Amino acid sequence: MQKVLEGNHAISWGAKASDVKVIAAYPITPQTQIVELLSEMCTSGELDAKFIKVESEHSAMAAVIGSAAAGVRSFTATSSHGLLLMHEMLHWAVGARLPIVLANVNRAVGPPWNIWTDQNDSLSQRDTGLIQIYCESNQEVFDTTLQAFKVAETVSLPAMLVLDAFFLSHTSEIVDVFGADIGKKYLPPFKPVDFLDPDNPKAFGNLTGPDYYYELRHKIHKDHLRAIDVARRADAEFGKTFGRSYGLVEEYRTEGAETILVTSGTITSTARVVIDERRERGEKLGLLKIRLFRPFPLDDVRRVLTRAKKVAVIDRNIGFSIGGIFAQEIRSALWNTRVHVPLFSFIAGIGGRDVTPEVLNEILDIASAVEYPEQETYWIGVKDEELSYTGR
Amino acid sequence: MSSKKRDFRDESEMPLSAVAADDMRWNKTGSWRNIKPFYDPKTSPCIASCPAGENIQGYIELARKERYEEAARLIWQNNPFPAICGRVCYHPCMDGCARGSLDRSVFIPAIERYLGDYAIEHGLREKRPEKTLDDKVAVIGGGPAGLSCAFFLAKKGFRVTVFEAKPLMGGVLRYGIPEYRLPKTVLDAELKRIEDLGVEFRPDSIVGKDVTLEALGQYSAFFVGIGLQTSRRLGIENENSKGVMAGLEFLEKINTGEPVEVGKRVVVVGGGNTAMDVARSSLRQGAHVTVVYRRTRDEMPAIEDEVHEANEEGVHFRFLSTPVGVITKNGRITEIRCQEMELGEPDESGRRRPVPKEGTYFNMPADSLLVAIGEKPESKMFEAVCSISSGLIVTDEYGRTSNRKIFAGGDVVSGASTVVNAVARGRGAAEVIAAELSGKQFDPKKTKKVVAIADLNTAYFLQKDRAQMQRSDGAGGRRPFAEVNMGLTCEQVQEEMSRCFSCGVCDGCDNCYVFCPDVAISRHDGTYTIDYDYCKGCLICVQECPRGILSTESEGK
Repeated sequence: MQKVLEGNHAISWGAKASDVKVIAAYPITPQTQIVELLSEMCTSGELDAKFIKVESEHSAMAAVIGSAAAGVRSFTATSSHGLLLMHEMLHWAVGARLPIVLANVNRAVGPPWNIWTDQNDSLSQRDTGLIQIYCESNQEVFDTTLQAFKVAETVSLPAMLVLDAFFLSHTSEIVDVFGADIGKKYLPPFKPVDFLDPDNPKAFGNLTGPDYYYELRHKIHKDHLRAIDVARRADAEFGKTFGRSYGLVEEYRTEGAETILVTSGTITSTARVVIDERRERGEKLGLLKIRLFRPFPLDDVRRVLTRAKKVAVIDRNIGFSIGGIFAQEIRSALWNTRVHVPLFSFIAGIGGRDVTPEVLNEILDIASAVEYPEQETYWIGVKDEELSYTGR
Repeated sequence: MSSKKRDFRDESEMPLSAVAADDMRWNKTGSWRNIKPFYDPKTSPCIASCPAGENIQGYIELARKERYEEAARLIWQNNPFPAICGRVCYHPCMDGCARGSLDRSVFIPAIERYLGDYAIEHGLREKRPEKTLDDKVAVIGGGPAGLSCAFFLAKKGFRVTVFEAKPLMGGVLRYGIPEYRLPKTVLDAELKRIEDLGVEFRPDSIVGKDVTLEALGQYSAFFVGIGLQTSRRLGIENENSKGVMAGLEFLEKINTGEPVEVGKRVVVVGGGNTAMDVARSSLRQGAHVTVVYRRTRDEMPAIEDEVHEANEEGVHFRFLSTPVGVITKNGRITEIRCQEMELGEPDESGRRRPVPKEGTYFNMPADSLLVAIGEKPESKMFEAVCSISSGLIVTDEYGRTSNRKIFAGGDVVSGASTVVNAVARGRGAAEVIAAELSGKQFDPKKTKKVVAIADLNTAYFLQKDRAQMQRSDGAGGRRPFAEVNMGLTCEQVQEEMSRCFSCGVCDGCDNCYVFCPDVAISRHDGTYTIDYDYCKGCLICVQECPRGILSTESEGK
């Protein structure tokens, strides 16, 4: 059924459609509506799940680690400082191989205090080992919740679905939703191999020396690699069942493109419009949307970008000193192909600054003006008089 | 370490993460401990605050389970008068009640009253002792101290006679406290319980007059609880005029149904409970009443409830003033001359001394002046047999006087005090009398530590309003002397009792059992046990016990 839903509520519906059984959460702007609606659904009985109110995000993740270890489909949501507070437990969830789904609303980290969209929170969790999927629309957010559980439960790893603060979390769009009765056509019940069982007592995660820890970490690495295909198939199957699929990356008008713009999140929607306008004027431009960030879709990225003459990556985040994080990942993905594509790293939208068509046009103007990037990173629109590149 | 570790040649044989199915009990984590928790039930602060040491937590626990009879009987272990004290006590238990740190203290006197009334309604009687002992004890004074002493001695099997000067038993309970605070029917019912134990009541018997000292020779011991007999006088001009009366005298007339005319304008002097009773009774005679008191409201010794109710009923107050003369016409009072006071340095009571202000005189018209500025003991007859100091009989904390056979308690020992204090001293004396007469050593019971509010964890309690007691129309109604406070309903009492934290006494909430991270606490038949082989001394159990039952001791490593 179609509903007008803000992004946050699309996730609540996604969790409901996934028939989650335990939700443990702590509120934080701008995710609170996710768990607020879920708590109402639990109270009214329309969602048959236990809602645990905890006193911090660290406890929220600890609580769902407990419930997932007991073999129950579990969900939590957070943002920014909440995610940072959970950090230790994110590592734990991965090492414990628990298929928890976490919805993270990308919000800047402080100080100074900032509630608007920015990707540093989720990207700084890169190396925890969580699967990470970046969404562009509220429909995608609803659909990805189910896909995330499917992938997570298949490879036994937690998954984080990511959406932009306010642009998605608080913006209403038409979303086609359904309940758990339909969701289960796509998502079968969770059947863990090992779980906490009073009739068959076991302890998990005990002391392991260098003799075996190495292999356990190797198993995670292998399952991350396996997860790429698992995610691809899960998305295709979703498409077959519900008529909507998104891919691990999406190419938009890349045929014949000489410069390919790479984006993630809602910047992608604006980029589509700008790409269309400039292609009208004869520019050979294309767009690559990165949806799956972890595991990194190496083959897909290589396949698309090695055909380009220039790559311009827009990062709504920063890895201090070295550049945008997506840019770093893509640069290293391309290295062993020995195809040396000039790669521009553009920083924009940090702290929620609006990435308008003007901003994207400026980026594409800079990329087309020079053969090769003249800076490691271009901070578009930064109020810095010393900077000499085109733009303010 | 366990030796049962599995070897893997290939990671495909390995589980996704480390899994152990071994028994970990070989790992005695208790050896890591340097501070040890243990179950240490404590005395609730309400019990510690009650002068009679009533087991308030205990009777509330029983009554919550609707075991009302057992609850009432539990009160009788410390106090024969729950229906009385529940109505008139100044309830220091409420000041001690830890609930006050969350919202408002539990309405304990209302609960006690409910149980006292329940016992009366159901005609419950105290159990008579199996054996009657040879010794006879004489109690002199039929007020709360003497009656309490008689009750506890009778329960132990002694034969007790209570000599009372007035025509009826009760002392201040009957002749002091008016009907609208304590109905005589309730008093008579509580007194009957004492008589039913075989105690002999001898009213209209003044020792030294109606009862000779020779006749007293048959008694093995004596308890003196004669209270304070004589009203203090102001010592001002024309104090003997018509219309000037001692407060106690006025109350005695009111409480015996003797007609007393106070006129339209009454001035009451004094700030204690007697003054309040006098003022409120005069109000009920239809008079305009002003209480004149030489200090301020804060220094008034009367129970706060009484002052509050007097104020609500329309008694007027003139603070920092004192009468200095009575103006008469034809030998009858027409006006009172007063002087204003101010507060100076503290006196021996710790209260700031009232100091007359130069030249600040004023007159108040009055048809009656009722003087309630305190009472004095009449202890002359005992001077020959035991130590007296400033008119009060000298005793130790248990009521033993300088004479081995004579014991004393209540206001004649402490000076003006309260019903519950008299009851407590009566019981204390009964204990030492019993020990003395049976030749046993008196051993005061060891008391447990009192729970401090800091020991509790009030996060486990929800805020809840205190029950509101219904009140009658009182002074302004058709029956002005009808009881003002009408008690709580059964439903209200149950709701109010649910507010009790049960400080220091385990109620099986399971917090310690659920939260112990070492699973070192087990539960059997409602008792919890800590397995010290595994207790790491994290003290989560101590923190999360809502009632402060667990205590800690260092293990001194």
